[in-house]
Amino acid sequence: MIQYRKLMMTTTSTICEDDLIQAITAFFSKNGYRVRHEVPNMGQSIDLAATKNRWITAVEAKLHDWTRGLKQCKAHELVADYICIAVATQNISDRLRDQALLNGYGIIRWDNRKSVCQWIERPKRNEKVWLAQRRQFSRNLRGIEYVE
Amino acid sequence: MSSNHWMMFSTFAEQRHFVYPTRDTYHGIILNANMAAHAPDGIARFILTKTYQQRYIIDPMTHAFQHDPRHITDSEGTVKRSIMKMAQEYGELITNNLGKRPLLPSMLKDEGECKDFVESCLNFQKSHISQRIETSEDAKYINFDEQDGTAPKPFALIAPYFYMKEATASLWLDINVKLAELTVKQKEDIPIFGMLVLSQGILLNNTLVNKIVEKFKSISLDGFLIWIDDLNEALAEESHLKGLISLGRKLRAISGSKQVINLHGGYFSVLATSEKLSVSALSGVCHGPEFGEYRAVIPVGGGIPIARYYIPLLHQRIRYREAAAILNEMGFLQDARTFHDKVCECPECRNTIDNNPDNFTLFGESNVKLVKRGSGLARMEYPTPRTKLRCLQHYLERKRIEYEFASTASIEQLKGDLNSGCEQFKEIIGLDQVSHLETWQQCLGD
Repeated sequence: MIQYRKLMMTTTSTICEDDLIQAITAFFSKNGYRVRHEVPNMGQSIDLAATKNRWITAVEAKLHDWTRGLKQCKAHELVADYICIAVATQNISDRLRDQALLNGYGIIRWDNRKSVCQWIERPKRNEKVWLAQRRQFSRNLRGIEYVE
Repeated sequence: MSSNHWMMFSTFAEQRHFVYPTRDTYHGIILNANMAAHAPDGIARFILTKTYQQRYIIDPMTHAFQHDPRHITDSEGTVKRSIMKMAQEYGELITNNLGKRPLLPSMLKDEGECKDFVESCLNFQKSHISQRIETSEDAKYINFDEQDGTAPKPFALIAPYFYMKEATASLWLDINVKLAELTVKQKEDIPIFGMLVLSQGILLNNTLVNKIVEKFKSISLDGFLIWIDDLNEALAEESHLKGLISLGRKLRAISGSKQVINLHGGYFSVLATSEKLSVSALSGVCHGPEFGEYRAVIPVGGGIPIARYYIPLLHQRIRYREAAAILNEMGFLQDARTFHDKVCECPECRNTIDNNPDNFTLFGESNVKLVKRGSGLARMEYPTPRTKLRCLQHYLERKRIEYEFASTASIEQLKGDLNSGCEQFKEIIGLDQVSHLETWQQCLGD
């Protein structure tokens, strides 16, 4: 019960993960990115892949279990230039912030009350891209339609 | 050929892997009785055309009847055909409640019924496949004279057995011992093995292990098969692994240092077969074609297939995406020479890499398919058949190398290899992910 209350206090409870993804999609689209959803990557799926020129940004959207989101982000390091985790919590926990900073991941927060998306931390350029895998990923990416 | 290397047969689609890398890689094969009952002609043909030079053992799988019947029935409650055929071979004791009630120790009290059960179980193992071999079309190409003019018989017959955990050992142990005694009484020319299927908890209970060993000591068994429920050696605690070593050594002692084969073991078990250890704990270890290094007694469902690459120095199959990330970060994917020097130079890797380290992606190549998930469709990746084959052949090449290495290398070399994996990889993947190598060294040192 205590855990549930805590959750209610810290998350924007009326939002589901799809809503969060739609909000993040609009956020990137507005900034000139082309966005695809559910992009397969080595047996996993990237919630949202935003491309601009030759740069690829991978975003994992998480309403609750951001630690799992961070693990998923790890798998995208071979293919994405920038990696972000998107959350809809009122507050960003210190642990999430520390872990994201440590790994160079960005944090995007969606505030459902104000209907605003904002950068909490901007991602650093990921230096671990392996070009051979990136080419494979780009081929997969081309087969997926953009989201408007 | 390494005399410690056994392979588990699972499906006919895997037949060709039993002659890979070479026809003589495996000392023997282990077949499940339900497969043997369901498709005896296919199994006979498999033995004649693929593994004629190897030994074979049929696991009677009698433990299948002691669990919740849901595990042996389909969604409509009908007993699976292969299990039904196997049960029919074993007689009324098994078929009476098949698919309705689990077999309980109280149902195995009657000496006469147990004797019939044992006899049926042994006859099945002894003749079901060998008779089909004799009458098989392919038999005309085989010279049976090399084997006393008869078709190849099992290397050993397995006494019927049931799974024991700490809470149930007091109920099943005496049954298992009685069944083994009755089996030995019927011994003719084929060796008789006992089979111990135990929970991990039993390994930590020295008193119980001693009791089990003591009970089996009085029976003149020629060897043992052992199976520890779901014991993943890479994740297991030191105490469990020491328990496994201790059990193996005790069983070898009572069977006159003869055969003790771990039915589902990984590289740690392979190391435990080394003759260079003060007392080797196992004589052989079995695995399947890329599965079966550990297995739960009560089967669990599969999941989406995923490509895994066996990293030799970690002695583990790792998800392709993780393997690629690790090897890339370590700089092993810079050029082909570095890859072969630092990771693997087996024929499959040489062939796949083909002087271009970018070709490592071929170990993870997949097709994207749309699958139903929840209310919508999701894109999922499935490894291509060629990817699966590459990963499997690399795995089998490495397994052959590992078994040979464990048979021939000195203790210092074996430990040096483990230490090297630990030292090289800990900086990248952390101590937790390499600690099994340290644990294995500790366990073998005692």
